[in-house]
Amino acid sequence: MEKSPIIKIENLSKRYKGADDATLKNVSISIERGCIYGLLGPNGAGKTTLISIICGVVSPDAGTVQIEGIDVFTNLNAVKQKIGVVPQDIALYPMMTARENLQFYGAMFGVHGEELETKINDWLERLELSHAADRRIDKFSGGMKRRINLIASVLHSPSILFLDEPTVGIDVQSRTIIIEQLEELNHKGMTIIYTSHHLDEAESFCDIIGIIDYGEIIASGAPKDLIKTTVDAKDLEDVFLNLTKRKLRD
Amino acid sequence: MKKFIAAAKKETIILLRDKIGLSILFIMPIVLIVVMTLIQDSAFHTMTEKGVPIVFVNEDQNDLGKTIHDGLKTSNLCQLSDSIYGKMATKESARKAVSEGKFLIGIVIPKGATDKIKASVLDLVGQTMGLNEPSISKKLDSVEIIMFIDPVAKNSIVTTVMSSLHEFISGVKTKIMFESFSEQIAEIIPDQENKPIDAYEKTQIIKYKQIYASNLVDEVVPNAVQHNVPAWTIFGMFFIVISVVSNIMKEKKEGSAFRLYTMPTSYLLQMSSKVMVYVTICVLQFIAMMLVGVYLLPYIGLDSLDLGDSLSGVLLLGTATGFAATGFGVFVGTLAQSEQQGAILGSLSVLLLSALGGIWVPAYVMPDTMRQISAFSPMNWALDGFYLLFFRGSGFLGIVPAVLKLFLFFCVTLIASLWIHKKRKTT
Repeated sequence: MEKSPIIKIENLSKRYKGADDATLKNVSISIERGCIYGLLGPNGAGKTTLISIICGVVSPDAGTVQIEGIDVFTNLNAVKQKIGVVPQDIALYPMMTARENLQFYGAMFGVHGEELETKINDWLERLELSHAADRRIDKFSGGMKRRINLIASVLHSPSILFLDEPTVGIDVQSRTIIIEQLEELNHKGMTIIYTSHHLDEAESFCDIIGIIDYGEIIASGAPKDLIKTTVDAKDLEDVFLNLTKRKLRD
Repeated sequence: MKKFIAAAKKETIILLRDKIGLSILFIMPIVLIVVMTLIQDSAFHTMTEKGVPIVFVNEDQNDLGKTIHDGLKTSNLCQLSDSIYGKMATKESARKAVSEGKFLIGIVIPKGATDKIKASVLDLVGQTMGLNEPSISKKLDSVEIIMFIDPVAKNSIVTTVMSSLHEFISGVKTKIMFESFSEQIAEIIPDQENKPIDAYEKTQIIKYKQIYASNLVDEVVPNAVQHNVPAWTIFGMFFIVISVVSNIMKEKKEGSAFRLYTMPTSYLLQMSSKVMVYVTICVLQFIAMMLVGVYLLPYIGLDSLDLGDSLSGVLLLGTATGFAATGFGVFVGTLAQSEQQGAILGSLSVLLLSALGGIWVPAYVMPDTMRQISAFSPMNWALDGFYLLFFRGSGFLGIVPAVLKLFLFFCVTLIASLWIHKKRKTT
């Protein structure tokens, strides 16, 4: 049975005021329901802008984005209820405890009371943070913060989860538990859009990879297919370097 | 509503956890009020109780010198001295002492000043009575009273001393003139039986009574406390701008703002929750500062703050000021794109608004253009409102225009913030 696209992006363009070049140029992507989509690209390629537009944080100059058939720009609040975003930054309040942060973010998604408390306790247990629930975030290690950062975005059980480098700068243990939990969420039907510079992680984790450079999608497909169709490529890193070349993007 | 409560709870937790920041919000304005009122009060006392330090050189040793000396000595205006380091002051020593800053003003009444005035007046009386021919009237030398002025002396102080001198000199001239006329008339009409006793003194029938044009039940005498407490309270409350800006900038920097933008909640809700919490802080600050004015300042030798006849008006105006200050904070926080930018923009704009608002210098002494600009400062509206309540005895209704203007300012800043936020999405 053919899967229906949960995200449909058509001809998306964006040029920031004062910028010489467009950050996104006519980007069109179709992402199927239940898929783990890896959006890879060098620094400044347009990954964060693309995610920001899909989530309604930034307005595009042209193009359309539909999530579950709903237009993002005309029905933003309906769309926001269906998505969860794990930002690249630790988007938590350092002066508040883990539980207080989760209570706040849960409430912003409209989850309250006993339901919220049950979900918080469940997630803290799953990510092995129950012991630190009432400790302030500024006392947490990097890995602990990343795990709370993830929980804060899934308390409302979204159908799509966007992750902007969710495992950057953390130890293997924290990385493993985060990836395991993401895989479990995906098995339960959640669509995951993921950006990372850990290409080995992306290769094993993602169903589909889209490589973006200079604001354009330059390749798209299953990791194995991309490796197979790229000359002399042994892994995803070879594919990536082959397509984006070695020029630094400073 | 649940989202708003959760957001307000978050703001409250963050604020309460930052104990140093919170104590600064309360302690600094209170310290500001106490220090500024003490300074202003001592300046006020220099002028009125202790007096302007003046060295007086009386080379005349006659009516004019004596009248000016006694007049200045008995006035509250100055602290008069006719000696320097135990030696009688001379013209030269007075000039030196003033130039060294030992006295603010030096006054020298030249030798023969009274005689010259008398001669001048007698000549005039003689002409008036037809005893002297105008053509044979002698050309008389003018009397030159010298004033040495310390360059640091404020013009207002010099002007006040000058006008006192004029008053004393006019008094002496009038007295001489009156006596001369009396003598001339006595020569023409030798019958002295009905001559009034102390005739000149009896002409001094004009008295002055100062009444402050206020509708207050108990007349409030303007003092440093009445002027300074509302002014510095407003200034202190507006410093909430820096806390609000810092709060917004931290959310932007730490990424919480980005996460919130992706959630089904509005910028208006997030900002409204901040407004609610920070306005509460402002009102508490305000109450604390009023209590300091009423109860603490008398303990350190200052007058007690009189809150006027409308306590509800005072509280409403304080709340409206809190809304204006917090709204401005939200506006600056939304406008700024980095923490540094926010800190500089926040603090400088508060200083600018306070200067324009008449916190530092009363608006009525500003040049016309500045006074017109001042009319657009929310601090000016708040200050005018408090002056209405504390000095002019205005009731609740009297401050409604000021309150409306402050709430309007709050609405404008909030709408502008929402507009800027929306605009940023498309740039």
